[in-house]
Amino acid sequence: MTAKTLPLARLRLLPPGGPGAGLPGLVIALGSMLVIWQLGAIAVRPWIPTPADTAVEIWANLQSPEFWLDFRLTLARVLGAFALATLAGAAVGILIGLSERAEAFFQPLLALALAVPDPVYIIFAILAFGTGEVAGFVALTVAVTPFVSNIVRSSVRARDTGLDEMARIYRLPRAAALRHQLLPQLVPALLTAARFSFALSWKLAVVVEAIGQPDGIGASIFESFRLLRMREVAATAIIFILAMQLLERGVLGRVEKRLLGWRG
Amino acid sequence: MTSSDTVLKVVDLGVSYGGSPAISRLDFEIRRGEFVAILGPSGCGKSSMLNTLSGLMAPTRGRVVVDGDELYLPRSRDPRLGYVFQAHRLLPWRTVRQNLELVLSASEVPRETWEARIDEILEILHISQFKDAWPMRLSGGQRQRVSIARALLVDPSYILMDEPLSTLDEVTARSLRQELTGICQRTGATVVFVTHSIREAVYLADRILILTRGPSTIFEDYHVPIERPRDYDDARIREVEADIIRRIQVPWGLDMPQTTERRSA
Repeated sequence: MTAKTLPLARLRLLPPGGPGAGLPGLVIALGSMLVIWQLGAIAVRPWIPTPADTAVEIWANLQSPEFWLDFRLTLARVLGAFALATLAGAAVGILIGLSERAEAFFQPLLALALAVPDPVYIIFAILAFGTGEVAGFVALTVAVTPFVSNIVRSSVRARDTGLDEMARIYRLPRAAALRHQLLPQLVPALLTAARFSFALSWKLAVVVEAIGQPDGIGASIFESFRLLRMREVAATAIIFILAMQLLERGVLGRVEKRLLGWRG
Repeated sequence: MTSSDTVLKVVDLGVSYGGSPAISRLDFEIRRGEFVAILGPSGCGKSSMLNTLSGLMAPTRGRVVVDGDELYLPRSRDPRLGYVFQAHRLLPWRTVRQNLELVLSASEVPRETWEARIDEILEILHISQFKDAWPMRLSGGQRQRVSIARALLVDPSYILMDEPLSTLDEVTARSLRQELTGICQRTGATVVFVTHSIREAVYLADRILILTRGPSTIFEDYHVPIERPRDYDDARIREVEADIIRRIQVPWGLDMPQTTERRSA
């Protein structure tokens, strides 16, 4: 039933955000997920571990120095690729958005890059650079950059050109106009791009490690899978996913709040 | 008129887009401290004129001379001018003070004088209390006051105003209109004010340049024969307004004289 069809009296009783919003909604969602998980574990035993077994394994992982070594390695790879892809993607996106010549050059490359499946980058990077750090770094950066460029380019195109005129009339130097007039307009898009870039980076980093690295969370998951230790696969994946979510919401959320504070 | 009195001189100005003329030929001069309104029907090339007078767009033909320096020459100096847009065009992520400082940072005004200068201008515009406010927190009228403050701040040769009151409600527009003449007299600003409202032009301006339909030329350089201070509802303002409507009826192809005037509050 859509909100439009709900009787007015019922609508008044609903919390903002519709039925199930807020803490009760979260509890219901988590509870449902655990029930489905448990049923799945019973149905596909032993390949899906139970929530209880996984919880025990998570606790064991959290106390394992080897896990934290892998975690730190993967985190460093994710952050490195994320930073480079975001910066490079934003720079290319701004350039394409502002210059028709740059767009004519980059647009076909961008369209092609967006169409290539991510594993292709990973395979070619491993073939070109071997299984060292460089391959993963290059594959991640090349895979993520076009997405960031595309988001930023659209935002540059949709900017308020009236502010460009204002900057020209008041003779703002180009660097000042870029810093004080253009970049702040792009902040929402840059934050979206950063979130997207981060999410894609950590997911791809795990795949890169699983395919071509001897260490890291991805390699650890793949090793557990190879040995059919599904509790370890689930436990490692869950810890890493939660950590990445916390990092994204915590750090990027704070940056967003700070940069967009003027919106009140 | 001495040459030093002339702030802006427009000679044989023409603007075309792909061979299609927007401005046929404009010749006029504006003296220091003058308030000149530009009145023209829709599509007569006012935007093109403002773009050429603001240094944004080189004309197809003719010259624009500001304080003796010709614009659009390879080594010509950038004109020092203010611009009050129809929409305020303030940067919403900068406070009022930061918006003003940004414009000052691109001017030759010494940094040590910024604070005092900003305080003085905000005082003139009666918005001192909003110095550290975000533009989003201000009303339309207050934002437009900040926009006027920004234009005055750089000590401009002249200020271009592009229908700055047209987006405000009539009560706010009346109040700001009333103050605008006082502000300009107090600061000695030279103003080129584009408007669709004949009564507004008569109330504010010393002279009104009435344009023809596009491609425009100056149909009449009309000197407003009413001394200051003026009252917006004064019968003489209405008489001059009616006189101008009579004059433009044929060249503008008007069916009804009232079509160009906004209803007053």
